[in-house]
Amino acid sequence: MSQFEVAVDERACVVHLSGEIDMAVTDELRAAVRDGLDRHDTVELDLAGVTFLDSSGLGSLVLLRNEASDQHKSLSLVNVPPMTHRLLQITGLRNTFDIRDA
Amino acid sequence: MSAPARDRPTVDTPAARPPLSTPAPVRTPARRRVEPMTVAVAVVGIVLTALATLSAVQADRNTERRLLQTQTRQAAAVIAGAVSTFEQTLGTALDVQAAVGDRRGPRVFEREFAKHIGPTSTFVEGSLWHVRGRTVRRIARLGPDAALSTAEAARIVRHAMAIDTTAVRRVERRGRTIVAYVLADRTRGNVVFAERLIPADRRAPVDRDAAFADLDYATYLGMPVGPSTLSTTDVPLDRLPLGGLTARAVMPFGDNTLTLVARPKHHLSGPLSQRLPAVFLIGGLLLTGAAILVVRKLVGARRRADDDTATIRSLYDRVDAHYGAQRDLFERLQRALLPQVNPNIPGVELATEYVAGAQGIDIGGDWYSAIGFGDENFAFVVGDVSGHGIDTVAEMARARFTLRAHLLDGNSPQAVLEKCSRQFDIATDGHLVTAIVGVGNWRTGEVTVANAGHPLPLLAGDGEVGFVQMPVGPPLGVGWNSYEPATFTLTPGSTLIAYTDGLIERRNEGIDVGMTRLVDTVRPRLGLGLGTLVQQTIKTMRGPDASDDIAVLAVRRPGAWHRFDAGPATPAAARRFVKAQLAARPVPTGVDTSDIVLVASELVTNSVRAGATVVDVDVRLDASTVEVVVEDDAPGWPVRSTTDHDALSGRGLAIVEEVAARWSIARRPRGKSVTATFEGRSPDGATTQ
Repeated sequence: MSQFEVAVDERACVVHLSGEIDMAVTDELRAAVRDGLDRHDTVELDLAGVTFLDSSGLGSLVLLRNEASDQHKSLSLVNVPPMTHRLLQITGLRNTFDIRDA
Repeated sequence: MSAPARDRPTVDTPAARPPLSTPAPVRTPARRRVEPMTVAVAVVGIVLTALATLSAVQADRNTERRLLQTQTRQAAAVIAGAVSTFEQTLGTALDVQAAVGDRRGPRVFEREFAKHIGPTSTFVEGSLWHVRGRTVRRIARLGPDAALSTAEAARIVRHAMAIDTTAVRRVERRGRTIVAYVLADRTRGNVVFAERLIPADRRAPVDRDAAFADLDYATYLGMPVGPSTLSTTDVPLDRLPLGGLTARAVMPFGDNTLTLVARPKHHLSGPLSQRLPAVFLIGGLLLTGAAILVVRKLVGARRRADDDTATIRSLYDRVDAHYGAQRDLFERLQRALLPQVNPNIPGVELATEYVAGAQGIDIGGDWYSAIGFGDENFAFVVGDVSGHGIDTVAEMARARFTLRAHLLDGNSPQAVLEKCSRQFDIATDGHLVTAIVGVGNWRTGEVTVANAGHPLPLLAGDGEVGFVQMPVGPPLGVGWNSYEPATFTLTPGSTLIAYTDGLIERRNEGIDVGMTRLVDTVRPRLGLGLGTLVQQTIKTMRGPDASDDIAVLAVRRPGAWHRFDAGPATPAAARRFVKAQLAARPVPTGVDTSDIVLVASELVTNSVRAGATVVDVDVRLDASTVEVVVEDDAPGWPVRSTTDHDALSGRGLAIVEEVAARWSIARRPRGKSVTATFEGRSPDGATTQ
């Protein structure tokens, strides 16, 4: 019951994530983002609604970034909550992502 | 000072104790030095003696002077009496002349006055003169040989006519000393002239009077007092003038003066007054000497006492040092035989403490022991071997390892005690052994205990503090016995405290008083960490004169354990559990609960990924720290990788390492146990380490 939701804004190709992102929702997260990457060159991942994100979620973000890069497409993060910012910092991933403010 | 050998102490060495080496002589060698005290006494004594002697001398001199003055006045009175006798003789002659008239005068004078003239009489010469106008005539004369010429005599006669009293003149003539007395009847012009001879030895007849008995004297007629005026004396002339203590009396002697100078012949005030200064001097010096001797003796005795005290003290120090070393050895042996580190038993907290008795070398035989075995089981023992000393410690070791062996064989507590009851015998061992043995399951909290003559353990949980009621069997060592088990449940959060009797026993106090005190001591401290609880309990319970040793073992079943079936949803479930635990209890300030939740999620995720089927999670809080414990049954061992930015996993432990203050990992019979610790600020504001 990790209240995780994905909402995709087709026009702007923004994937809105909300709730808790852990190992239980990695598959769902990956499917949603891959779907966006299939149809757009650039995809924004909006983390504004994320209340929890752990190393499983980070692993998925790394996987999706790598896939986008392989397809010469871009994946960027917007509205990164402070806690996730901290995790990116701790794990040294902060500069490997394209992080934007909305 | 005495010779050191006299005071060399002998030590009565008790057989049970190691012989003491002969102490080196503590006494310092005898010294011949002057004690300040002795000097002070000597000075004071001499000064007091001198003062007493001087004042006695002064008093004696004053007395002497007073007595001499008194006697001199008496002697002077005698002389004055003699003088008046002479005047009276002359006066009588004049009265007779006045009565008989001028015509018969000379004859009557010659007849009447003759009795006063002669070598042994008052005078040696006498004459009667008549003065009319400027004419001076001698009208009668008695005696063979006048010392003075007629002209000289006439001059004195004329002088006598001018005065109211007798003219007195001292005359040296032809080796003789004469005193001339001349008295005039001025109305009739009759004048009597008499010469008195002072004997060659100058002794005066008056000095036969008692007033002169104690005096040497010299009389002087006229002034100044000296050889030219010397009249009479009782000392040889070459001894004059009189020296030393003298007194003078000056008295009128006709128209002249007579000076009496007197000196005591001997001490006037008597022998006692005279000898008193000497008595004081000798007595004072003798007393001073005696005081010095006494002081020296006292000082010497005190120094010897000080030396003896030092000797005795050093002996005691040596004995203490020996006993201390022995006691230290026993205590180290005792502690060496106790478990050094409590076993890490999953699911239970454990705290133990041993305190040696306060005094003597009588180390006791108290012990505790805890074992974890199987997946979920633990066992504990607290025991007490009767007696004290090294034999008791050895017997304790035997009891401890025997019970432990039976427990590790899988025996129930009652079976362990029963088997031991066959192995211990007071007849051969000399000791009784009491013990409480417990075996428990940390998942269910079910504990089985058996008791061989040991104090009842204390159980605190679910808001109640009381003693575990159980059948108590005989101690080990009194023969074969069987023991009845008792079972109770250690509910989550509850604490079991087993101990030896030293904790509750105090002198002159019933055992139930100590048990009540234990309940009252533990109850308000249950919120403390287990180790602190045990330490404070011992500190509070231990009597001020505690001589018995104390062993305490406490087991607590933490209240938060929760078992999850492993699956993708487990991290989220574990997060909710941890959040709930933190919300229900006071979290130390300075600890971020979202960090704890994150770490719990990471640890549980790791366990699930490692293939665990169940994951147990516990949250432990105390005043300044929070611990999250995650245990699983997965065979894997966590690895971490933070260098590979493209890695999809392995960041969990990096996050744990970064967010938690520290973390540790321990193997379990199946799987592992990971503990992450978060430090808050202790109440005084400092961050705990």
